[in-house]
Amino acid sequence: GEPQMAAYLTHQQKVLRLYKKSLRHLESWCIYRDKYRYFACLLRERFDKNKDVKDMVKATELLKAGEEEFWANQHPQPYIFPDSPGGTSYERYECYKIPEWCLDYWHPSEKAMYPDYFAKREQWKKLQRESWDKEIKQLEEETPADGPSTEALPPARKEGHLPPLWWQYVTRPREIPM
Amino acid sequence: METTLLLNTSLLLTLAIILTPTLLLPMSKTSSNSPTTITRTVKTAFLISLVPMTLFMLSGTESITSYWEWKFTTNFKIPLSFKMDQYSMMFFPIALFVTWSILQFATWYMASEPHITKFFFYLLTFLIAMLILTIANNMFLLFIGWEGVGMMSFLLIGWWQGRAEANTAALQAVLYNRIGDIGLILSMAWLASTMNTWEMQQAPLPTQTPTLPLLGLILAATGKSAQFGLHPWLPAAMEGPTPVSALLHSSTMVVAGIFLLIRTHPLLANNPTALTLCLCLGALSTLFAATCALTQNDIKKIIAFSTSSQLGLMMVTIGLNLPQLAFLHISTHAFFKAMLFLCSGTIIHSLNGEQDIRKMGGLQKMLPTTTSCLTIGNLALMGTPFLAGFYSKDLIIESLNTSYLNTWALLLTLLATSFTATYSLRMTLLVQTGFPRTPTNSPTNENNPMITNPITRLALGSILAGLLITSYITPTKTPPMTMPTTTKTAAVIATALGIALAMELSTMTHTLTYPKQNPHLNFSSSLGYFNPLMHRPNTTNLLNSGQKIASHLIDLSWYKKMGPEGLTDLQLMAIKTSTTLHTGLIKTYLGSFALSIILILSTQT
Repeated sequence: GEPQMAAYLTHQQKVLRLYKKSLRHLESWCIYRDKYRYFACLLRERFDKNKDVKDMVKATELLKAGEEEFWANQHPQPYIFPDSPGGTSYERYECYKIPEWCLDYWHPSEKAMYPDYFAKREQWKKLQRESWDKEIKQLEEETPADGPSTEALPPARKEGHLPPLWWQYVTRPREIPM
Repeated sequence: METTLLLNTSLLLTLAIILTPTLLLPMSKTSSNSPTTITRTVKTAFLISLVPMTLFMLSGTESITSYWEWKFTTNFKIPLSFKMDQYSMMFFPIALFVTWSILQFATWYMASEPHITKFFFYLLTFLIAMLILTIANNMFLLFIGWEGVGMMSFLLIGWWQGRAEANTAALQAVLYNRIGDIGLILSMAWLASTMNTWEMQQAPLPTQTPTLPLLGLILAATGKSAQFGLHPWLPAAMEGPTPVSALLHSSTMVVAGIFLLIRTHPLLANNPTALTLCLCLGALSTLFAATCALTQNDIKKIIAFSTSSQLGLMMVTIGLNLPQLAFLHISTHAFFKAMLFLCSGTIIHSLNGEQDIRKMGGLQKMLPTTTSCLTIGNLALMGTPFLAGFYSKDLIIESLNTSYLNTWALLLTLLATSFTATYSLRMTLLVQTGFPRTPTNSPTNENNPMITNPITRLALGSILAGLLITSYITPTKTPPMTMPTTTKTAAVIATALGIALAMELSTMTHTLTYPKQNPHLNFSSSLGYFNPLMHRPNTTNLLNSGQKIASHLIDLSWYKKMGPEGLTDLQLMAIKTSTTLHTGLIKTYLGSFALSIILILSTQT
């Protein structure tokens, strides 16, 4: 299967994260692409020089020195993509994302505008009610005693069961509501 | 006689036209076209408001009309009175023109918004409150307008209320405005208690107005017009949609503070302390905002700081005792600042929400009309000779130069003028010229006439407004006529130096020097460290002192120290000394008995 997200970061992940964020901050500093490319190549060379270090102590020391150098040279206003956390249109449409139980409160004239959805909605809700206990039982069995270590949900294990918390996933709002 | 009647009728008709959508539209069945209806309403109101303006320009008619009187007490009456003088009659068409263009732009910009009708209603309510503020003759009506624009600002900044930063920014705006309101209410109370009226024209001019109410008025202007000290809310207010920034936080609401000082300038005129305070505060604000704008990368924040800087310049003009010139700067500034915001809105929408100028470039070929108008707006802002900004800005700097009032304020203002040129040119170069750094699949176009018409209209206004206003309105104070050549060309030289600095810096960004932080960049980027220095410590101290009063003062002091534990502390030393005597040996006790009997016998005899 695919590699699962663990509760701690590996050394490789830390180094790669440092590399990516230093490249992003370098991009915030060097506005023009040719200048950025020049310094990005120099940075890549600095990372590549130490990539075969096998001694974990030395590698961790290099990583720590790299993080400190990053902190000293970071850009005070780094470029953040508009939809990323901290960006200008992050969570902008959150106020329009209404939970799905509001659909139960629609007027029949409004419900008549979407007949095929509302015809089947009762059956979907019945299915959700029936599978809820089984999902909870599966989650209770599978989480370790002192709480879950990651946010990943397990898949459905038995035949005829649905994955846990599938309803929240299926009825999630759109990214940019209409 | 007839002119005053025509004046009053047309101006009140304007107000009534604007009020119509608020009363009629909630009752209409077809709600599909409300934005266009509201835009057309404001356009009609603008055309009607040209009538009183032309009347005033040609015949000099002014009027003060009082309608109904709220008999607060038998001694103190508050009439519903409107003052139609040059300020309100010039402001009405300008505000309505700018609002019409912004509403027309907003029908395109907010087209994908589910609650667009509510948005337009909010903007209309804001406009009504602002016009009430402008036309008010007494402080009560002005206060109604003042609070109204503050409320609508809160609602509009937090329009996308799912976003945490928008809510924080709206709260910041309300709190900072509230601190200014303290000053306004203070001066209103003083006015009511000494002059027994809130009418502006009834306040007799004393030889020297006491400084306290004037400080209150200046505090109100500092809060509303984002002078240094109460300024952080204005850059934060950019969280709202771009039409909100264009209308409220560039042309109309933020000038309400300056407008208050213009209205009350007879009180200010004979108090040199207040005037000097205005001068220095304005100079500091304009330089600080210009410094912060130098290193901003968000296009809306650059224009926000530019607004803040120009507001400081208006405050400097008030400090020079030239209210008419300040009003001229308000009028010309409204045109090009609103246009700058609308151009930035077009750019943001075309680039799919991108607001960072580091990811824009080469837009001159992709958005020709918008970028041309952006250039015109920036040139007007810099005070290019014979565009709109020149007529007000150059006059202000000339008057500052020849007034011999305060050299420090003069130096700061000149430095801020050159910084204005620097950041405007930086923005222009990074946004419009060079190779595109934008993502490649953005829907970059300006084919919709809803975009190009408002922007070109405002561009026309930016070019012509200064000329038109100065040629038709006679100044009340004589402008300085003769001065040395360096003084006359000081503003233009400062701007040219700023342009040279910007060109030099932009060549430097191309050279392959390794970029790193330096203290000046950090100061400018973090906005002078003002926000973290003021926001956390003030609230922490207040809450800490509250906790200390509640727990230490009341609980600890009164209940414990003044009661049982205090008594214990007093006795403790004596107790510690005497416990050594409690040994339990009979001889020690017999000895102490003997000692006390001898003492009693010796004192008795």
